[in-house]
Amino acid sequence: MKQGYFRIITALFCIFFGGTALLSVLLPKQTFSPQENRNLAAAPVFSLKRVMDGRFMDESEAYVSDHIALREEWVALRAWCERLSGKQENNGIYFAADDTLIPRVDEPDGQKLEKDIAFLNTLCQNAEVPVYFGLIPSAAAIWRDRLPPGAPGADEDLWIRDLYASADAQTVDIGSALFAHKDEALYYRTDHHWTSLGAFYGANAVFDAMGLPPLSLEDYEKTTVSESFCGTSWSSAGARWIPPDCIDTYVPSDGVSVVSNFTGKPVEGSLYVPDCLTQKDQYAYFLGGNQPLCIVTSPSGGEKLLLIRDSYSDSLAPFLTERFSEIHLFDPRYNLTSIQDYIEENGIDKVLVLYSFANFAQEKNLFLLAR
Amino acid sequence: MVFSTPLFLFCFLTGTLFIYYIVPRRARNAVLLCTSLLFYYWGEQSYTVIMLLSTAIDYTHGLLVERCKANGNDRGARMAVASSVIFNLALLLFFKYWDFLARSLIDAGLPVLPVLGIHLPIGISFYTFQTMSYTIDVYRGDAKAQKNILNFGTFVTLFPQLIAGPIVKYKDLGGQIDARSCSTGRFASGVQIFLLGLSKKLLLANNVAQLWDSYRAMPASELSVLGAWLGVLAYTFQIYFDFSGYSDMAMGLGRMLGFEFPLNFNFPYIAGSITDFWRRWHISLSSWFRDYLYIPLGGSRCSKVKWIRNLFLVWAATGIWHGASWNFLLWGLYFFALLLLEKLFLLRCLERAGALIGHLYTMLLVVIGWAIFAIEDFSQLGRYLAVMFGFGGVPLYDAVCIYYLRSYGGVLLLCALCSTPLLKRAYLALGRKAQQVIGIAAVVCAMLLCTAYVVASTYNPFLYFRF
Repeated sequence: MKQGYFRIITALFCIFFGGTALLSVLLPKQTFSPQENRNLAAAPVFSLKRVMDGRFMDESEAYVSDHIALREEWVALRAWCERLSGKQENNGIYFAADDTLIPRVDEPDGQKLEKDIAFLNTLCQNAEVPVYFGLIPSAAAIWRDRLPPGAPGADEDLWIRDLYASADAQTVDIGSALFAHKDEALYYRTDHHWTSLGAFYGANAVFDAMGLPPLSLEDYEKTTVSESFCGTSWSSAGARWIPPDCIDTYVPSDGVSVVSNFTGKPVEGSLYVPDCLTQKDQYAYFLGGNQPLCIVTSPSGGEKLLLIRDSYSDSLAPFLTERFSEIHLFDPRYNLTSIQDYIEENGIDKVLVLYSFANFAQEKNLFLLAR
Repeated sequence: MVFSTPLFLFCFLTGTLFIYYIVPRRARNAVLLCTSLLFYYWGEQSYTVIMLLSTAIDYTHGLLVERCKANGNDRGARMAVASSVIFNLALLLFFKYWDFLARSLIDAGLPVLPVLGIHLPIGISFYTFQTMSYTIDVYRGDAKAQKNILNFGTFVTLFPQLIAGPIVKYKDLGGQIDARSCSTGRFASGVQIFLLGLSKKLLLANNVAQLWDSYRAMPASELSVLGAWLGVLAYTFQIYFDFSGYSDMAMGLGRMLGFEFPLNFNFPYIAGSITDFWRRWHISLSSWFRDYLYIPLGGSRCSKVKWIRNLFLVWAATGIWHGASWNFLLWGLYFFALLLLEKLFLLRCLERAGALIGHLYTMLLVVIGWAIFAIEDFSQLGRYLAVMFGFGGVPLYDAVCIYYLRSYGGVLLLCALCSTPLLKRAYLALGRKAQQVIGIAAVVCAMLLCTAYVVASTYNPFLYFRF
């Protein structure tokens, strides 16, 4: 009787641990995890030198962790357990009201931001064209009433006000524009980006700051291009109980030509890339995803805009085509050319430095503004 | 290598057990020695040499002590013991305390020692104490010298207890190194204890650790009274479930390999006094200091002044053993003061005051002790303690601490429940059939949940690298 029990426990242990180990070895290996949007660790390279300096060990740990059988199911199980135990966040993502996932924004490094504003001010001095500066508050700030009560995070309004006060550029009050419509779907429920609707209000805030006439939502017809969008917040939180999101567009791409540079070579691009809707990161539908430089030419006329930006501007660009003849989207994460030279060589009329607050606080290449 | 990683669980452990049980019995110590060396080399690379050096030197000293004793040369035997103790302490002193000493002297305006930036080899505090106990045990006649260097190496490097204890004395383990029995019953009970420890570490300790990290990072002006208590309470549970979880994992792994390690934690948070607490907390360390420091110094069977001196030395040593920093020394002396007061009169008062008062008094002082233990910087510690007792000029509670209370309330209650023997008693009160059903269900749940947490979480801080 007792012996039978011991045998069952021993068998369970051996089957589970041995089985998981065997399965992990036998199952085909993925090299990329769409859920996590990153390359998985490659098999460790064995050499005496790498063993002696410990590199082999680090690589092995990463490899085993990344390729354990049923990895994504384990991650989801943990998310469920965390939620059941009363946690209101997992992996830095809040479980907010109305099936919304909101990334936590931590207190930024004030000294780093001070330096970045100094770079921006250098750009204002050097450039002979007007420079505008906008920071997009995150969903945690605009949708704070959806957050679990008392959820900790940075006071973005206060930070943005302080940064605007020390910036020499003309500032764009995106926060107020978004906050006035906070009950609308300004951000994705499953992703950190703003929706096309959020970008629409953002675009009008930009036009307002530049003295350009605003756009009217009534002039557009909303098109829903996807109803299966599970964005980065959804993946990070492992929150499989949250239903997928929609992706909408407003501005038709008729007559707009796009030159993209995904690998450094100019290729013909598009405002919307339907192929991206079949992959995990559907937000890349807008302009095709991250790229160092993207030039959008529009038939509607107007000035030439240099937009120094993060990925939030991908869904903003369609609205900007209504007021500018050329929009140069410049991403300093991948593009290290001199901004000063770029303005002169391309006959730029206006510069807009536009970032989401969280990305601005993390961005390491803002020194490029001063070049 | 750390127990709570996919690599250990699914590669190292499964591989080691597989090889261990397919080789003939006489080859098992060799398998253990090799896998243990790999286990240590994995994390420490060249520092493995220090452990090997320590092994070789104590092995020869053990033989030397025994030969001197056999020849009636007590003086020679004593010299050999002294040489072994000095060697081990020198290793520990150099690798663990040199930089601390040098910095402290520089701070005091005496730049006589250079700061060398020495890396602390994992587990050095544990294995030097174990090997030291060996030569002393041989001298005292509590154990026979180990003739086989392979077996002695297995004792020192045995991977289940190598990096986080318990500190197994040679007199308790020597016999098992030479011969031990493996059975399905022992293996199964090892599995249960190992999974219990793994669950303590992954499901409880790592969970509340995030709460403590949030509060530790907060400036004192942003704390609230309730929040400060919540934070230090989280640390109280973190250190208990982390440390006792490691001890359980070691004990469970030991049993799976046929070893029996002594109990290291016996529900310390239900203690009725600080004296009682230290009989239940990290038993292998306090008994080591009792056997090899306190009693040799004369223990309590001497004049009152000497007795107080002995107590002071033992607790100063216990404190500083936990890490090369002044706050650990302060923490040790804090317990010296409390234990002294208890032995002088407080224990008698507590007996009259009733059990509830005793428990509250003990937990309050233990929790304050953990604040001293956790916060290295004295000015930060002062501010934190001030906030805890309402002198911080901060509100009683705020929205953030309510948020954390809601998020972690369930886990904290579970921690409190698991700190008492209530669940264990309820389990033991069941009939055999019910016990077995619950046992199987618990093993399955523990395996699934621990795997989910270990795979999903890159958050896996290891508290004991400083020991």
